[in-house]
Amino acid sequence: MTEVRIAGLRKSFGGQPALVDVALEAAPGEMITLLGPSGCGKTTTLRCVAGFLAPDGGDILVDGRSILDVPLRRRDFGVVFQNYALFPHMTVTQNVAYGLRVRRIGAAEIASRVAASLAEVGLTGLGDRLPRTLSGGQQQRVALARALVIHPRLLLLDEPLANLDAQLRQEMRALIRAVQRRQGITAFYVTHDQAEAMASSDRVAVMERGRVAQFATPREIYQRPVSRYVAAFTGEASALAVTLRAAHAPDRYTVGLGDAQMEVPGAAGLSPGSRHFLMVRPQAVTFGPSGIPATVREVAFFGATQQGEVELAGQALRFVTDPNERVVAGETVHVTLDPAHAWLMPEAAA
Amino acid sequence: MTVPLRLGAGFVLALIYGFILLPLVVVIASSLTAGELMQFPPQGLSLRWFARFFADEALMQALVLSLRVAAVTTVAVTVIGTMAALAHRALSGWARQWLRTGLLLPLLLPELLTSIGLLFFLYRIGLGKTLIGLQIAHAVVTLPFAFVSIAAALDQLDPALEDASNSLGASGWDTFRHIVLPLVRGGIVTGALFAFVTSFDMFTVSFLLKPIGGNTLPLALFDYLSYDYDPTAAAAAAVSVVLAIAGVVVIEKLVGLRNL
Ligand SMILES: Nc1ncnc2c1ncn2[C@@H]1O[C@H](COP(=O)(O)OP(=O)(O)OP(=O)(O)O)[C@@H](O)[C@H]1O
Ligand SMILES: [Mg+2]
Repeated sequence: MTEVRIAGLRKSFGGQPALVDVALEAAPGEMITLLGPSGCGKTTTLRCVAGFLAPDGGDILVDGRSILDVPLRRRDFGVVFQNYALFPHMTVTQNVAYGLRVRRIGAAEIASRVAASLAEVGLTGLGDRLPRTLSGGQQQRVALARALVIHPRLLLLDEPLANLDAQLRQEMRALIRAVQRRQGITAFYVTHDQAEAMASSDRVAVMERGRVAQFATPREIYQRPVSRYVAAFTGEASALAVTLRAAHAPDRYTVGLGDAQMEVPGAAGLSPGSRHFLMVRPQAVTFGPSGIPATVREVAFFGATQQGEVELAGQALRFVTDPNERVVAGETVHVTLDPAHAWLMPEAAA
Repeated sequence: MTVPLRLGAGFVLALIYGFILLPLVVVIASSLTAGELMQFPPQGLSLRWFARFFADEALMQALVLSLRVAAVTTVAVTVIGTMAALAHRALSGWARQWLRTGLLLPLLLPELLTSIGLLFFLYRIGLGKTLIGLQIAHAVVTLPFAFVSIAAALDQLDPALEDASNSLGASGWDTFRHIVLPLVRGGIVTGALFAFVTSFDMFTVSFLLKPIGGNTLPLALFDYLSYDYDPTAAAAAAVSVVLAIAGVVVIEKLVGLRNL
C-alpha cells in the first residue's frame, strides 16, 4: 500500500511550459484519474512520476520520501502504455516474465508468478503466442499482466484503452479496476474520456494547461465544478449567465434568470449583486404547463432518451427528456430547472 | 494490377537483375575456360586457372591479407558503428547533427582525398605503410556504411520499448542485450556485410596506404593484369565472389538474417 504526494511539479520543453504547478495526492490503494484535453500535461505528469522525465521543479513523495533521486529501474512502478509497448520478439510468457528475469529471480518462482498473473488477466493458454498474433484487447491484458507481475508499488496507466473499441473498453476498464482493488495498488490513470474517469476512479484531477483545475471525487467534480471548464469536461452542461440576487446559507443563493427567480446551490462565499454562471446539467430540465418560457431549437431521438437544445432568455440550454415526451422544434415550452442538478459557479460572467 | 502492367514490372525486374548479374556470369564463365585467353564465351571447360590462382604465391598472400583486413575491419566497425548509432540516438539537437555529419564525412569526401589525408596522418603518428595503418584506414572508410545501416534500424525502434524495459527494472545493459540488440540485429548484420564487402574490394585507399611488402587482393590483381592477361584474374574474381557469399552465410549462421 503506497501513498503518493505530488507538490508544485513544473516542467518545460524548450521554454514552453507543459506543467506549471501540479499538486496531487493519492491515499494508499486509491485510483486517481488525470482527466483533460489533449496537451494539458497528463502524460507529462505521469512520465515524471514514472521517472522517464525529470521535472524542472517540485517534488514527488512516495510514502513520505522523495523519489526524484531514485533511478527509474529502482522505482518498482508498473507502467502500462497507450500502444502497449510489448516486446515484439518475445512471447506472451517472456514478456510477462521480463521484469522478474532482470531481477534475477529463480525460474520456478518466475513460472508460478507469470502463470498467476496471466490467470488474473484471463490469458491462460496464450502464453506461447507472439504479441502480433493477439487482438488489441489481449495485447493490453499482456501489458497489464507484465506491469502487475513485479508487484509494483504504484501502477501508472497512460490512456490504456484509447486503442480499443467501445465494447472492449468497458470490459478492460472493469478488469483494471477489479485487479487494482483486489491487490490494493495505488494507481494513476490518464484518460481524456470523462465516462472512463467517472466510472473507475476514487478521485479525479481535471487538468487545464499544465495545472490541476479541480481535484475531487467524481461526484463532486460532476455536481460541484469550480469552473465552466471543469463542468464542460465532465459531461454535458449549459452555462447560463444569471444575476445573483441574495445569499441565504453560505452555499445557497437566489438568482435571477430573465424575469424568473429561483433558489440554487453554489460555491460558498459568492458576493450578491454581480453576474455569475449557473451550470445546468441536461437532466435538470423538465417541461411542464408552467415555468420559464423557452423556444425549442433542436431535438434528436437517441433511443433511451431524447436530447436537444432550447433557447431561454436568449441563452442556449441543453436538455434530456423521456423519448416519448412530445417536444417539437420551433414550439414554445415552459421550463422548470431542478436545483439538484444545477450549480452556481464562482466564475464571474464576463 | 493488370496483366500488361505485371508483365512490364516483371520485365523491368528481369532487366535489373540481368544488369547486375551479367558481369558476374561473364567473369565466372570465362574463369572456367580451357583456353589461354580471358574471353567470353569460354573455350571448353577446365579448372586449370583456379589451380594456377591457388598456386600463385603472391595472389595467395594477397587473398589472405585481404580476408584478414576485412575480418578485423568488420568486427571493429560493427562494434564502433553500433556504439556510434546508440550515441546518435541518445543525443538531440545540434550535437546529433554534428555527430552524424562527422561520421558520414568519409562517405561524402572523394576517396582519394580521404586516403591522402590518412597518409599524412598515419606517417605523422608513425604508422605510415604499416598493417595497423591500413587497418585503421579501412575502418575509417567503412564506418559510415555500418553506422548508417544501424542508425536506420534504431530509428525504427519504438522508444516506448526501452521505457517499458527500464520501468520493469532492467539495467541499461539488460535493455540493450534483451530488447535493443535483438530488434536491430538486421541493421547490424547489414552494416557488418557492407563493411566486409567494402573493405574486401577497397582499392584507392589500399593502394596509397598498403604496408611495405603487403598487397591486398585488388592490388595484386591490378599488378597481375598489368603483365598477364590470362584467366587467372577471372578465377581470382570468381573466388572473391564465392568468399563474399561464404561471408554472408557465416554471418547469417552467427547472428541470423531472418529479421533483415
Ligand atoms: N518530449 C517533448 N518535447 C517537447 N514538447 C513536449 C514533449 N512532451 C510533451 N510536450 C508538450 O507538453 C505539453 C503537454 O503534453 P502531454 O503529452 O503531457 O499532454 P497530454 O495531456 O498527455 O495530451 P494527450 O491527451 O494528447 O496525450 C504539450 O503541449 C506537448 O506538446
Ligand atoms: Mg498523453
